Amino acid sequence: MFRSRSWFGGGWGRPKNPHSLERLKYLHNILCKNTTVSESNRGILVESLRCIAEILIWGDQNDSSVFDFFLEKNMLSYFLRIMRQKCGGSSYVCVQLLQTLNILFENIRNETSLYYLLSNNHVNSIIVHKFDVSDEEVMAYYISFLKTLSLKLNNHTIHFFYNEHTKDFPLYTEAIKFFNHPESMVRIAVRTLTLNVYRVQDASMLRFIRDRTAAPYFSNLVWFIGKHILELDACVRNDADHQSQQKLDDLVAEHLDHLHYINDILCLNIPDLNDVLTEHLLHKLLIPLYIYSLTSGSIKRPTSSPYNRDHIQSIEVITRNLEAILSGRSSDTPPRLKYPIQKMESEDDLKPSVSCVVSLFLLSQVFLIITHGPIVHALAWIIIQSDISIFDEGAMNILETYVSTAKSNVKLEFAKPQLSLEKALECSTCHDRDYTTPEYSGAKAFGYDTDHSSCDLDPELVSNSLPSTSHISETSSIAHDSTEDLVTQVQSIKSPVKENMPDSPLPDSGIDSTSSKTMSDLNNITDEEKQQLLVSLTNTEKSLTLENIIDKERRDIDNKPFLKTILDSLDCNEDDYKALFALCLLYALINNKGVSSELLDTLLKSELDDSEKVTKESRDENVGQEHQTKPKDHFNALLVAKLMAIAHLSCKPASKVRLVTCEITARLLKIAMEGSSGVPSARHLSAADNLRARAASLARNFYKCDDIFLDMFEDEYCEMCKRPLNVEWLCMDAAILLPPTKTPMSGIAFEKRLPSGEMERARRAIRTFFLIRELYLKLSGKQETQLPLANHAPFVQVGKTLDLNDSDLISCDITQKDGTWQHRFLAVDNIQIILVEPDKQKLGWGVAKLVGSLQDLEITGDKEDPRCLHLTIHKPRVGSTGVSPRTVLLRAKFKFDDHIRSMAAKQRLTKGRTKARQKKMQQIGRLLEVSGISAPAVAPRHRPLFARPSLSTVRRHSGIDGDETDRRIRRPSGHVLKDGVIVYRERTTMSRDSSVSRGSSGKVSREGSQEEIPLEDIRRNSSHPATPSTSRQQSTPSTSQLPKVSRTPSEETSFISGESRPKRKGIIETI
Amino acid sequence: MAYAYLFKYIIIGDTGVGKSCLLLQFTDKRFQPVHDLTIGVEFGARMITIDGKQIKLQIWDTAGQEAFRSITRSYYRGAAGALLVYDITRRETFNHLTTWLEDARQHSNSNMVIMLIGNKSDLESRREVKKEEGEAFAREHGLVFMETSAKTAANVEEAFINTAKEIYEKIQEGVFDINNEANGIKIGPQHSTAGGAKAGGAGAGGAAGGGCC
Repeated sequence: MFRSRSWFGGGWGRPKNPHSLERLKYLHNILCKNTTVSESNRGILVESLRCIAEILIWGDQNDSSVFDFFLEKNMLSYFLRIMRQKCGGSSYVCVQLLQTLNILFENIRNETSLYYLLSNNHVNSIIVHKFDVSDEEVMAYYISFLKTLSLKLNNHTIHFFYNEHTKDFPLYTEAIKFFNHPESMVRIAVRTLTLNVYRVQDASMLRFIRDRTAAPYFSNLVWFIGKHILELDACVRNDADHQSQQKLDDLVAEHLDHLHYINDILCLNIPDLNDVLTEHLLHKLLIPLYIYSLTSGSIKRPTSSPYNRDHIQSIEVITRNLEAILSGRSSDTPPRLKYPIQKMESEDDLKPSVSCVVSLFLLSQVFLIITHGPIVHALAWIIIQSDISIFDEGAMNILETYVSTAKSNVKLEFAKPQLSLEKALECSTCHDRDYTTPEYSGAKAFGYDTDHSSCDLDPELVSNSLPSTSHISETSSIAHDSTEDLVTQVQSIKSPVKENMPDSPLPDSGIDSTSSKTMSDLNNITDEEKQQLLVSLTNTEKSLTLENIIDKERRDIDNKPFLKTILDSLDCNEDDYKALFALCLLYALINNKGVSSELLDTLLKSELDDSEKVTKESRDENVGQEHQTKPKDHFNALLVAKLMAIAHLSCKPASKVRLVTCEITARLLKIAMEGSSGVPSARHLSAADNLRARAASLARNFYKCDDIFLDMFEDEYCEMCKRPLNVEWLCMDAAILLPPTKTPMSGIAFEKRLPSGEMERARRAIRTFFLIRELYLKLSGKQETQLPLANHAPFVQVGKTLDLNDSDLISCDITQKDGTWQHRFLAVDNIQIILVEPDKQKLGWGVAKLVGSLQDLEITGDKEDPRCLHLTIHKPRVGSTGVSPRTVLLRAKFKFDDHIRSMAAKQRLTKGRTKARQKKMQQIGRLLEVSGISAPAVAPRHRPLFARPSLSTVRRHSGIDGDETDRRIRRPSGHVLKDGVIVYRERTTMSRDSSVSRGSSGKVSREGSQEEIPLEDIRRNSSHPATPSTSRQQSTPSTSQLPKVSRTPSEETSFISGESRPKRKGIIETI
Repeated sequence: MAYAYLFKYIIIGDTGVGKSCLLLQFTDKRFQPVHDLTIGVEFGARMITIDGKQIKLQIWDTAGQEAFRSITRSYYRGAAGALLVYDITRRETFNHLTTWLEDARQHSNSNMVIMLIGNKSDLESRREVKKEEGEAFAREHGLVFMETSAKTAANVEEAFINTAKEIYEKIQEGVFDINNEANGIKIGPQHSTAGGAKAGGAGAGGAAGGGCC
């Protein structure tokens, strides 16, 4: 802000042209004269620096002599000198200096100019300058400067920043010190910079990054992600009342940021970096914190746990052994197995963990975002496969391929890195220590590790103790797998590193390669031992529990602790809080392309035989008991049973299953039922059909003549099509981390909470029906033919010329709100309202100017003028637009020639609307299998009312004088109009907004016209419930919510069948 | 450098629409190119005064980082205001607005104030996007709209300051949780309590003003 004001327009004897070599010379002179920054000259200095930037950019584009002068005078050194002064207001000058540099580097286009600027290493000196980073402004400009530089990196410029000989890369090492800066923008800048650095695929530089910085950087990164997670967990645990949703949002978003960042690094496909990152992620975060937390819940809360004591022990053994495999600490194994459990239980509290809900949620995010094979496959493998009997060659192979490329380097534990990143980096730049993985902290290590923690701390000691081979490798290079690479590197590079040999990776690499071999040998041996021990353990357990088959199957899953936790979480009897996350995780896992299909077969491969199934899926709570078949490690049947249980629960009226849970369940059911073969079995199909019937019966409860039901039905369908579930987005929403709630006041979307009130219960039922129906159709390979609800005839295209000879046309003047006025003729058929304009070429023909759906038409009388109607016309829902919300085409006042015409129009429209809606309700009735509507009867009954292109048929069928009267004319009745009006009115009063009809009818009746009689009748109808139609309906309990079932036939008969007509008419005449 | 509030902005839009030039034009008014010198910068800060209070604007250009999903994501979340910029001489930059907006809405916090900027209004002869179109787009999506020229500095001040005003109003209405720095708003050092805000802000502002002249 100072800059912008103080020197604006200030003039002192300077060359006129601001962009010239002379001007630069002049500015140089100023810099020379003001080598010491003081209160008095800092303004001049700042102004000069700004001018310099401008001239240089100008010079870069116009006059190379400018740059020559700048270099010749070594003007960057003045910058440095100014920067290094600590005096009043230096931050002010520093900021401008940094901004000048930013402008310079940002705007220079000429490659050579850029090289010149970078050539004399001044830029690196500026980078390492100790700016006052506690000053927010300095920090922001400094980090922007670094980021700007990183955007200039490429295969050529990298050498100006990375010194291969001195193993120095200040741009990178200085920047990553701020990776955890409290200011989010600074953190983002650091991430940007690192990604920009990595993507310069310079082998030597990447080697430096890997050997010198990767371990400390990644271990710290991972540690802070973990700390974040613990914070998130605490937030979830302590918030039953949705108080800290905002904070939770931030924490979740932060975690996603981390994952995306990691994924961005992994996607750059730099093998060496990815190995280190993968290892740190798996060993320090994902396994010890995320995966272990899946089972830790059962230990901490044994009351709610389905595990008995034996199981807790076995889980611990598994955890232990898994760790042993992953960390390759083979030499420790025998003693540990002798006393593992007691130790563990005492130390369990010390081990950081998060709640099961949080860990399921986080793992879902991991599987949704990260696709790097080694990470996701290893994780999936551990989740799905790890059990007591996995410790065989196959398991080892998987882990060796995917996990333990450098297996012993990073201990499997979530613990704080021993050195802060900054310290570690200092060490690395001083070359006095190898800082690879300083993460062993004795306090948090497991019991058997603590013995060695002293060794861990002393690299030299460890490297001399051969037995604990893993320690050697740990202190040496991070990436064993590339030892050859390192050897060649030793030969090619050399010099400065050599002096620091004692514990640097390079000299040891020869030893390493041999030691790592012995280590793997050791691993194999001990794993066999371990396996034997474990097998004996499992055997004893099995012998205890061979009571019946069900127990055996449960035992099967019990042996897979992590998978068991997930499947157990699917239990929705109390609520679907946990289940939703378990579903997300399963969904993410199954859909992650980094997970191999063989692994997924455990969940997806169904066991061939239907016949062997003793039971069909149990419909109720006794799920999980479904028979599970031979190949022990296949859980498809169990999974399907669990999912079916959720689906069945969601079809219950008072279910605690949220829509989102239902939707994701349906998706998973499809995948699980289709299995690896892609074809669902007959058993599954019938189960799905059964499910569909249940969903229909749930929705049927709400099927009533309420006008709103139809709108709700269509709206819900439209919503569902418009916003299909996106699991990734779902897992971004922190709101689901809090216990499910009902109230919409929580601000949580309808799908993600339970319904509140009757209306929402209806919506939920409808949506559930759609979801389940969709599932059934997809499984059975059937096409959806009934949804969206179809119209009986196609709509007329706007602009089409129609033959309207002898049609019922009502002339009207249409006035819109904005005053526009039009004259049109109104024509109505079964489903549509058409406004036509006479065709100038052909007499009796008209051009359709506007076509709207009758179904959504809104009609209101005018209180002032009986000749007028207010209409709101909506766009017809056809085909693809059927799944979009209705849009208003026209909202206007329609003025007719007289009140009779107005009445006629109103009746015609109202009746048309009602009829159109009834047709749709019948369709819904058929969909929901409402008794009485089951027959697809409408199709034959429906006559093509609208032969196209001619509209001539309209005349016979549309409106009061068309459709109704036409037929009535055929009958020997003198009360055509009266009758028609009455029949029609009674429907109106029932199915439409009563205030509308009341208002208008009252008005009209005052006019005392010919219409008075029928209208009087209507009023009587509404006041005396004993009129024919209502008395009929009184047979059903509630008049306001008449089930459509009972009403529809009467409607139909009143229109179509001749028999009921006389009867009804007779009654009316008695009134 | 004392301020009552600090607002973080981001500038988004296709490459070449003049984002960094707008930024530099606003933070460092001096760069008013009399001739063809396009010059921009990726970061800048400037103090403005709203309602008698010193407010510091920190503007971060997101250019060049589109390749990394993690980066754009984080940027959106950390900002209180966003300038969504298109080039009135290039239709396609206008056509991409929807995508930008979707991105912004998805990743940002819902309170973020977004201002639509049609830049390069000085190039009237090469105009491809009518001002009315920009206005219509802004109306449809509930944005504030303005046409600017980084070159002539027309409306540049207004664009940034109006956005700040809107954020400030939202703070006054209590829409923004100012204690949550993840929203892209920071309370100044002297602004620790809401009650003492006014006096402190004004005093500090005066002091800062004195320091600069």
